[in-house]
Amino acid sequence: MDEKEFNKLKVCDFDELPGPKSKEELNEMKMPFEEYCKKAFDVGNEFAKPEALKGIRWMSTTMYIFTPHSVANLAEMGAECIKVEMPRMGDPMRHTSPFNEAYLYPLHDTRPMTGTGYGFLNANVNEYYITLDYHVPESKRVFYDLVKMSDGLTECYRHGTFDRWKQGYRQVAEMNPRFIYVWGGGFGYGPKMFGGSYDILGQAHAGLASITGTHEDFGGHATKCTNWCIDWYSGTQITSCIMAALNWRLKTGLGTMIEFSQVQAATRMCGYTAPLYGKFGIVRQRWGNWDTQLCVHGIIMTGKVDFPDAKNPQDKFESRYVMLSAFQDADFQELCNIIKKPDLFSSYKSHKERVGAPAQIAIYKAIEDWAADKTRSEVVKILKEAGILAEPVLNDREVYESKHFRQRGTVRWNDDPLFGDILIHSGYSSGLMSKTPRRHKWQWRPVGADNVKIYHELLGYPMSKIEELYTKNIL
Amino acid sequence: MAKQKRDIEINSRADTLPLMGPEVRPWPVTPPPTPEWVMTNVYAKRKAEEFGKFLEDNLHLNFIFDKPEALQGLRVLCNGIWQISRMFAASLLGEQGAEVVYVEPPGGDPLRQLTPFGREEYMLKDNVTGEPCGLDFLHEFRNAKSTTLNLETPEGREIYKSMATVMDVIIEAWPPGYMDSLGIGYRHLSKLNPRLIYCWVGERGQWGPDKDAVSKHGQWTLDPFSGAADSWIHNTGFPPDQCPRGGKGGDVMRSGAWLCSYVCGEQAAVSIMAALFWRDGTSGEGQFIECTAAETLMDILDFDIGWYGFNASIKARTGAWDPNLNQYEWNPCKDGYMMIGGQTDRLWYRIGMCIERELPEFGRLIHEDPLLKEMGARNSLQGLIKTYSITTKWLRDINRIEAEQKLMQYEIAAGPVLYIDEVAEFPHFKYRPWVNTIETEFYGTVMYSESCAAFQHRTPARVKDLGRPLGHDNGEVYQKFLGIGPLKLRELKAKGVI
Repeated sequence: MDEKEFNKLKVCDFDELPGPKSKEELNEMKMPFEEYCKKAFDVGNEFAKPEALKGIRWMSTTMYIFTPHSVANLAEMGAECIKVEMPRMGDPMRHTSPFNEAYLYPLHDTRPMTGTGYGFLNANVNEYYITLDYHVPESKRVFYDLVKMSDGLTECYRHGTFDRWKQGYRQVAEMNPRFIYVWGGGFGYGPKMFGGSYDILGQAHAGLASITGTHEDFGGHATKCTNWCIDWYSGTQITSCIMAALNWRLKTGLGTMIEFSQVQAATRMCGYTAPLYGKFGIVRQRWGNWDTQLCVHGIIMTGKVDFPDAKNPQDKFESRYVMLSAFQDADFQELCNIIKKPDLFSSYKSHKERVGAPAQIAIYKAIEDWAADKTRSEVVKILKEAGILAEPVLNDREVYESKHFRQRGTVRWNDDPLFGDILIHSGYSSGLMSKTPRRHKWQWRPVGADNVKIYHELLGYPMSKIEELYTKNIL
Repeated sequence: MAKQKRDIEINSRADTLPLMGPEVRPWPVTPPPTPEWVMTNVYAKRKAEEFGKFLEDNLHLNFIFDKPEALQGLRVLCNGIWQISRMFAASLLGEQGAEVVYVEPPGGDPLRQLTPFGREEYMLKDNVTGEPCGLDFLHEFRNAKSTTLNLETPEGREIYKSMATVMDVIIEAWPPGYMDSLGIGYRHLSKLNPRLIYCWVGERGQWGPDKDAVSKHGQWTLDPFSGAADSWIHNTGFPPDQCPRGGKGGDVMRSGAWLCSYVCGEQAAVSIMAALFWRDGTSGEGQFIECTAAETLMDILDFDIGWYGFNASIKARTGAWDPNLNQYEWNPCKDGYMMIGGQTDRLWYRIGMCIERELPEFGRLIHEDPLLKEMGARNSLQGLIKTYSITTKWLRDINRIEAEQKLMQYEIAAGPVLYIDEVAEFPHFKYRPWVNTIETEFYGTVMYSESCAAFQHRTPARVKDLGRPLGHDNGEVYQKFLGIGPLKLRELKAKGVI
């Protein structure tokens, strides 16, 4: 049969048929799921794949953590981000470090003995660092030149400041209608428009602090969620607004202005707190390490620590907490048998019975009594072997040593072009993507380190002009 | 002011229920400030009338329904149970205009049953089936449709596959590998729909040595296991030298909110929209995404693990204080807690000037202490203890409102720790409004937290409805996407497929 005849008989192309077409594809369908995930995410080879936001250029006229993080998210996904700081000073966050002890040097080429503190870590990665003093008239033109070359900016000055300086949304939208302008701050328009804000103010004002911590009836206080978590969390929500706006711009070609308030964002995560108050007038209180809606589902303290001989007090005294979860009937029954309190199960057979407040107090006490002569790892081992969910509450050393995060590449050492080995736990950890993975290029650079790169190589300013602006303290 | 007096008798919690609610006590109890008041007393004082008016005219929540939606045309399928992170991710997309369809097993998501302390009287019954629904689920189920599907039946899986071909995004929250073992994971569905963006959300991961576990009896790993795994819980709470250990306030502490899940949900939404941007702008291809609560929270864990890498420090918990900034904390005052913040010299001395008026020794002991003069040096532990001891001496004799008014005269970022009743009546919250009420289709009037993305010039996010009876949209969704008519639907229902 010749080819012509054969083609006549054909009704479709082999390649169009469903199912695996090559040996490689066949293997892909057959390999165990974990192997497939490892292959799909291919940890360590992120740089061999494309970047999702290639070609987007974003200006970061930001300070502290909240607004910078909204841009760092873009930079990790491949956008070219330009951080604009005050000449010689830089972002105030550079002067922040835990107990004033961890710095990387120098801050600026004229300040070799001053460093950038670890408070700045992870908030502005992969960005280019330039300086510009907005207060002087000569800087206006420079700012507009940057706007024309960019897709958007995030700023965090007191509301209306950029507008007064003629570099707000109303002005830049006329120069670049595709521009996406983000203001991030505490409050936005309204009675507290000019109120300053911090992460901790968000936690306090928004109601999050009132529901976090041990209740005063037990002797506790309203507790700050550690880190500047509301700053970071709100920053990511800004990124989600930016991503929606970028997708809309793909279709319409138009920019927008986003006004984002972090105080509101903290209320947003409080779940049933608002509807419960609105409908029933119930003011939600703190419930410590237990769960108001699930029992057993909380953190218990064991009598003994895992590392009694360790030098570091965090190992020596604190390695004694276990997160434990057995709220379904069968799990709870198993747990009661393990702690040798089968009568506890007969008293609280249904979840509705054991999730009540007095029941929770009795149940957790019984578990902690049982754990009084055990270490954290003993408790976890006993429960895990019985098929119950229990995990130790880990400290930073243990997270660093965790094989899990290492294999997934979410805690890793990076060979930083300026500072050498730096341990990072951001970026890669914000989400694995199989085709356009996030990546970490560099941690930060000194204040104004990329002035030539941006002003000369991007905007084409002659070197003499850059030098002039630099001597005048405008750059 | 109460309009009429009533005699009431309270013998149990049940007697209190009819005393509250939007019909009896509408929110807000006192009206918010008027725009005219804000104009005169806020904007005009800073000579920002024109800019204030521009914001009010262009970004105000009143105009959201006059504007287009950013993600119009995007179809999202949200498949899973338990995880609130999947719901938050779906909400962020749904509020921006995506068409969101939830798929639950015919028995429903157990999250629907959760209610604080098991109190069923605090659940809301829908006006179609009368089934009670927990408020966490209701509050996070936004702008979405509810369908049911039994993925353990072959027919259910075929329907799911067909749905996957007409979707842009699938958000999935089942235990690791479960969907894959049913033949409907990413590697199967991406063959049917190469443009599909598929995002798995969970606690620690769907692969790796400590991937999400399921107990012997089938119970899932849920928030806050994630916070236990990434040191967040270890680093939160009061240290035992501030409060006693053992449930008395001095222990490691979880967040009262499902914080880890919310952080996971938002990063999932960001990843999905980035993948969408790459698909629609560049490649035309979908991809596989995985977001875990433990890792997305680790991303925002400041420098904590990096600090261990720097000099083997293991971060300790510091209660309501911050080891990096002074002042930056809340401390007890007469009727609660007062937050004060201001690290730079300018603010640091202003705080002192305010306190000094009533407590002159503050100036002598704090401002004149040479060890507290330099910004970085103030953050030593001794520096914090000294500063806050004397600040609290001032605070303990005054109420939150007094402290706030005094500090506000010096324009310091300060504020009281507020409870939800105070939050809901806070003038700025009412004015925007950030807590808002909505007349839902099925559950009456509900108070909710407004979308944070709602304040925009062109494409504000919006909340249109909250909650949905289980499987309410089976008819509409399966007809619209798969052409399954009422007869076939009844047949599938009888077979337990939907």
